[in-house]
Amino acid sequence: MAARRTAPHGATPAWLGHTRVLVVVGKGGVGTSTVAASLAVLASRGGADVLLVSVDGKPGLGPLLGGTPLAPDEQVLRPLDPSPGRIRGRTITPKQAFGDYLELKGFGSLLRRAASAASFDVIAGSTPGMEHLLVLGKIKELDRERAADLIIVDAPPAGHAAPFLRSASALRATVASGPVRDQADEVSALLADHARSQCVMVTLPEETPVNEVIELAYDLEEDLGLALAPLVVNACWPDRPGFALSAAAAAKQQQVSLPVASRRALDDAVTFARGIVERQRVQFGRLDQALPLPRVHVPRLPIARLMPAHIDVLADALATVPVVPGEVAR
Amino acid sequence: MSSRTANATVDANEVPESLSSVVRDAALVVTCGPGGVGKTTTAAALALAAADAGRKVIVVTVDPAKRLADTLGIQGAAGGDPVEVPGATQHPHGSLWAQMLDAETTFDRLITDRAGDATRAEAILANPIYRSIAGSLAGAQEYMAIERLHQLVTSGEWDLIVIDTPPSRHAIDLLGAPDRLVSFFSHPVYRVLTVPGRSFARITNAGASTFLWAIRRLAGAKVVEDTVEFFRSLSGMEAGLRQRAAETAKILRRDGTAFVLVSSPRAEAIDEAVHLAGALRTGGFPLLATVINLVHPTPLPLASPAKPLASGPLADQFALHADLVALAADEAREMTTLRTLAGGVPVIEVPLLDDVQDLSGLANLGRHLLEPDD
Repeated sequence: MAARRTAPHGATPAWLGHTRVLVVVGKGGVGTSTVAASLAVLASRGGADVLLVSVDGKPGLGPLLGGTPLAPDEQVLRPLDPSPGRIRGRTITPKQAFGDYLELKGFGSLLRRAASAASFDVIAGSTPGMEHLLVLGKIKELDRERAADLIIVDAPPAGHAAPFLRSASALRATVASGPVRDQADEVSALLADHARSQCVMVTLPEETPVNEVIELAYDLEEDLGLALAPLVVNACWPDRPGFALSAAAAAKQQQVSLPVASRRALDDAVTFARGIVERQRVQFGRLDQALPLPRVHVPRLPIARLMPAHIDVLADALATVPVVPGEVAR
Repeated sequence: MSSRTANATVDANEVPESLSSVVRDAALVVTCGPGGVGKTTTAAALALAAADAGRKVIVVTVDPAKRLADTLGIQGAAGGDPVEVPGATQHPHGSLWAQMLDAETTFDRLITDRAGDATRAEAILANPIYRSIAGSLAGAQEYMAIERLHQLVTSGEWDLIVIDTPPSRHAIDLLGAPDRLVSFFSHPVYRVLTVPGRSFARITNAGASTFLWAIRRLAGAKVVEDTVEFFRSLSGMEAGLRQRAAETAKILRRDGTAFVLVSSPRAEAIDEAVHLAGALRTGGFPLLATVINLVHPTPLPLASPAKPLASGPLADQFALHADLVALAADEAREMTTLRTLAGGVPVIEVPLLDDVQDLSGLANLGRHLLEPDD
């Protein structure tokens, strides 16, 4: 049964099957959340029990996977295409992670009251990076409990991805001892353990996003020792062979007669597509040069608003064998 | 240039017909919107257009991604002085300047400028808590943008200041930053900690001592000492911060200020833009125009082929055409939502342009912004 379901989609890619915590990062507008949701679907097709965690409190992920907006309480999501695995979704906020942490560590109600009396904001604000560390600490805890086969984390966007992942190592420099130090050590260990965690970077085939992802990749790998999964290049326009011809030539080849107006409409569309595909190719070339990392190219869908059905299409695309730099130029 | 007073057509109560009046008359333009929609380039294009109209313009970005630097050739200038963009305009009186904000270096400058004496400034700058706070204290970056804005406005040096805000959620943080920082400094714990001349051991205030006890249990005694020291070293600077925050809050709402909302036709961006437009209205900020960038072209009409096409080059082309039609229709639907909710301000659609990376690209974008074809 499971075999029949997974076969048409292809198996879970090897890189996805080998990890327990997957942190998905990318700047705002590149589709990080969508990729996180699609990876959850892909992993569940292979039978995995997946926990999808939104750190930035983006509730929209829930409805995209057939659920209600994500909340601190876990819910089971029901993507359009049923799979042998399972997907649960939730948000983790720093405040909530803090409460859980104090309880877990057996700090009495006195300390918990003290924390709330002083107000969480002041504590978190005076121990910088604390908010991020709390969230990562909670994720580490979920992993330790084996709360799921795979935990997928939709990380904060924009310039905030690096500080988020760097919070543990930064705090280790400031805090010499005590529970915070222990927490930072454990989180650093999780992130640096390539058997347990990986980072998926998402970008677009455009100049600025490519610049930024190159910088981010070196930051994450060299500074923090993170394992990098294949790079996801989102919203790539499909490059079809027919774009090389004029409408007249294409019609001739397929032995179809076309009115002038139709030829013009097609030529116009093809000129537009060629421009985009050409610019895209330049960016692939730059990635080939600067980032020796396999890539998965996800197609740009002809829509402005993503619906649950689209997630399956994106999951299919993510299941393809990654492109190895240098081999894409053709 | 007295254009802003003599010919103040930009008025919170009076909606301009297009962005050209904003570029000509506004004293302050704030661009805001979701990430990845070309907000920074839009800010730069508007600034360039104003420079071309003969004004002395500065464009300031708080976006940590150095996109404006890429576009304007001011890499590595973060936190530094304004840089004139060479060859930006031919207009004899116009000039374009750019400045990048970086929370940490701006914070350092603020400390150096306001600490009163050099020894004190050094003590603050060397404090390990300060070192790790400077870039990451909640709202620090946003607050620094406000400080810088205040500085630029009061310097009287500029005909027009264009401020580019961080992506949407953070843009709301930016506007709320003055209030938040004031409330931070008003927190009872903070107030007790900053009373000078009292040793940490003798802090008896219940809230503050439990706060410190909690920090000590969690992070150790050294961090407590540094924290107290840090808060204490800031005392005395707070009154000035508060006052400038209050003034900036007024500047952001007064005549001559124009908020420009930037979006793309993608649903996530539209949803955030709608949210942001509501927040601006609630906050009393004058939203004067909405720009929708990256709009895909609607292809020319095409009759379906007489009989179904086998796969081949022509089928590829028909499939592409169908995709573009579907995309344009979907985008039009999303834009209608924003148009309806924008409350009668002009909505300017800008087509998907080639990567806008240089001055001629910015000038071209500016033409689309100022003279949208209908």
